[in-house]
Amino acid sequence: MRAGLALSILLAAAAPAIAAAQSYEQPTPAPRTNDPQQLRAIASAREIHERFAIGLDAEARGKWQEAAAEFTRIIQLRPPEPQGSTAHYDLGIAYAHDGKNDAAAAEFRSALALDPQFLAAMANLIAIDIARGDLREARTIADRFTAAAPDSARAMYSRGIVALRQDDLATARDEFKRLLGADSSYAVAHYDLGVAQAGLGEFAAAAAEFSIALDLAPGYARARFALGTVLLRQGRRTEARAAFDRAAADSAADPALHSLAASLRDAIKTR
Amino acid sequence: MSRKPLRSLVTAAVLAGTLGTLATALAGAGSLEAMLSGALQTSAAPSLLGPITEAGRKGWACKPERAAAARTPKDAELPVPEQTP
Repeated sequence: MRAGLALSILLAAAAPAIAAAQSYEQPTPAPRTNDPQQLRAIASAREIHERFAIGLDAEARGKWQEAAAEFTRIIQLRPPEPQGSTAHYDLGIAYAHDGKNDAAAAEFRSALALDPQFLAAMANLIAIDIARGDLREARTIADRFTAAAPDSARAMYSRGIVALRQDDLATARDEFKRLLGADSSYAVAHYDLGVAQAGLGEFAAAAAEFSIALDLAPGYARARFALGTVLLRQGRRTEARAAFDRAAADSAADPALHSLAASLRDAIKTR
Repeated sequence: MSRKPLRSLVTAAVLAGTLGTLATALAGAGSLEAMLSGALQTSAAPSLLGPITEAGRKGWACKPERAAAARTPKDAELPVPEQTP
């Protein structure tokens, strides 16, 4: 009886140790070859694997230059797919966060050259191109993104934003309408649709879109300001002044918008 | 004093006043128009999607690629009103 109890206690004490031992990774199998080329390939694969881990850890810690060094070395090792396109993509992210936008764009292009259907690389190249002011390439990639993933919300949004910035208002209007067809609760798309419509002289439609954006997000100061501009263009001065007043009150975090809204409010008041 | 010069003086004063008011109105309208011009900005560009592991973009574990293909703005990690400039 006493021996059985002692055995039970011993087994219970040993159980966590057994469980803990199970969590160890399997050791990397030793190479079973003497061929120098095969050994070199195995070493290279191991180096790529380790550098990916180090590079991603550096990116997670915001150490962009350290990360860039790792991914640069991986690319020099000419890894197979998908590691090649992924290394270019991750290097692009490191460069972008380090303020090297031209270099980042080049890396996203390289990722796309290796994997032409790489949607995340398309998305990031568009974002970087907008930051670089290269709207021409941004539009080319946005067209490609939309063709590769017609239902992608990011593809529609990106193409709409680029078209708006290129003053291609009809394309922007169509793209934001499409995006809202997929999700009508997205206030930012209502705002951008309104901007496109206002640019096309469709002030009543624009005012309606800005109003919907404000119903969805009442503190959306830029939409409130935009509503004021179209009301003013419609000759609804009292309502416009009220919109600018509220936009000025809601835009404390955006000094430029606050100043512009207050100036327009006061310009209407003094006339 | 004859009435003719007085009438001319009044006419000139009225004309000057009208022109002045018109000029002020036009300047005000011009100023408002200048303030409205280019006042509407687009919302923010989409933010960068995050890094990808060496396993690559295919499969459910790849969050950035899933965000790029997502059908809803939230899943696509698109800007929200508070993030727009």
